Amino acid sequence: MITLTPAVVAVIMASGAVAGCIGALLGLGGGVFLVPFLNAWLGLDFKTAAAISLVTVIATSSAVSAGTTGRNLINLRLGMLLEVASAAGGVAAGITVARISDIALERGFAGITALIAVLMLSRLEQRNVISDATDNPGPLDGRFYDDESGCEVGYRVRRLPVALGISFVAGNVSAAFGIGGGILKVPVLASWCGVPMRVAAATSSLMIGVTAVASVPIQYANGYINPPLAAAAVLGVLIGSRGGLWFGARARAKWLKALMALVLILVSVFYLRRSL
Amino acid sequence: MTRPEASLNRLERHLGRLLIIGVLTSASLLTIGLGLWLSHPQSAAAMWLLNAGLVVLMATPMMRVVVSFAEYVGMRQWFFAGVTVVVLVELAVTVLFALSRR
Repeated sequence: MITLTPAVVAVIMASGAVAGCIGALLGLGGGVFLVPFLNAWLGLDFKTAAAISLVTVIATSSAVSAGTTGRNLINLRLGMLLEVASAAGGVAAGITVARISDIALERGFAGITALIAVLMLSRLEQRNVISDATDNPGPLDGRFYDDESGCEVGYRVRRLPVALGISFVAGNVSAAFGIGGGILKVPVLASWCGVPMRVAAATSSLMIGVTAVASVPIQYANGYINPPLAAAAVLGVLIGSRGGLWFGARARAKWLKALMALVLILVSVFYLRRSL
Repeated sequence: MTRPEASLNRLERHLGRLLIIGVLTSASLLTIGLGLWLSHPQSAAAMWLLNAGLVVLMATPMMRVVVSFAEYVGMRQWFFAGVTVVVLVELAVTVLFALSRR
């Protein structure tokens, strides 16, 4: 365990700010960048790093969702339905994670970061097409005002079992590796389940708070969460996500995604080599 | 379809307000707690504030689920009220498991 000096607290806060900034820029929680930093650079053990990252996921979820409400972008019913699966995944992983070795977790993290990098690279050019407004919407379908087309558009949720399945996996992965899990849910919802990209991102942002809360209390009780350290990371992430939103309007998303994919590949290779 | 959509909009606004209050409260507690802890590392008050900030942070999404449940019952949407109860039960399992470990 490292000793917490004001300098270390400042470094953690700054790393949280960078992770929060990148996270807000790319619509992620930022945990996928915070975990390797806390673990590999500051020398916290993997479970502590993941638990602290998961606490920042809650903060990101609440802060980002508070900013998106009122625009019909969050599909509350779909979100709540999928939370049944993602919270179950979180509870299951939260209870079992203490029994999994750090090596196994690091290998899993290497696999997940590689997968996310590939997902990100394959989506560099992706633009989402929004389906026509339907005149007979079901209970999960929704409508919102789309800035790009300048009118109100509707969408129809399809393949609900797929969405529930990926939510369970996302909840599991989230609790084990300290990430939000939106990186897995959003592409699946947007490409296979008929949910427009911005709705998928907003709904996922709201969901990850409950997903994280399904396992954080257990990790807190297990003593993986050091309060001053968690406070520094949370405050950093909150500041960073504001910055990310500001910066996001001015940066080329395509090059950012390519850069992040590169960073993720490096992280993945690092963990794979270390765990072998 | 206008009526249920209007009440969903209202739910979204209520949840937004709840989330802002939760984030601001916990961020203030964590800021004061961290400042105090840095100047007096042994201070019990600092630890209390830091833990209180973390508990408020964790309670915020839980409160969102509770408020959603109340509003779905108000809207008489029993299916979604039921779904919300399942999520609440799952969160209760976590909290009880956590409390049993203390």
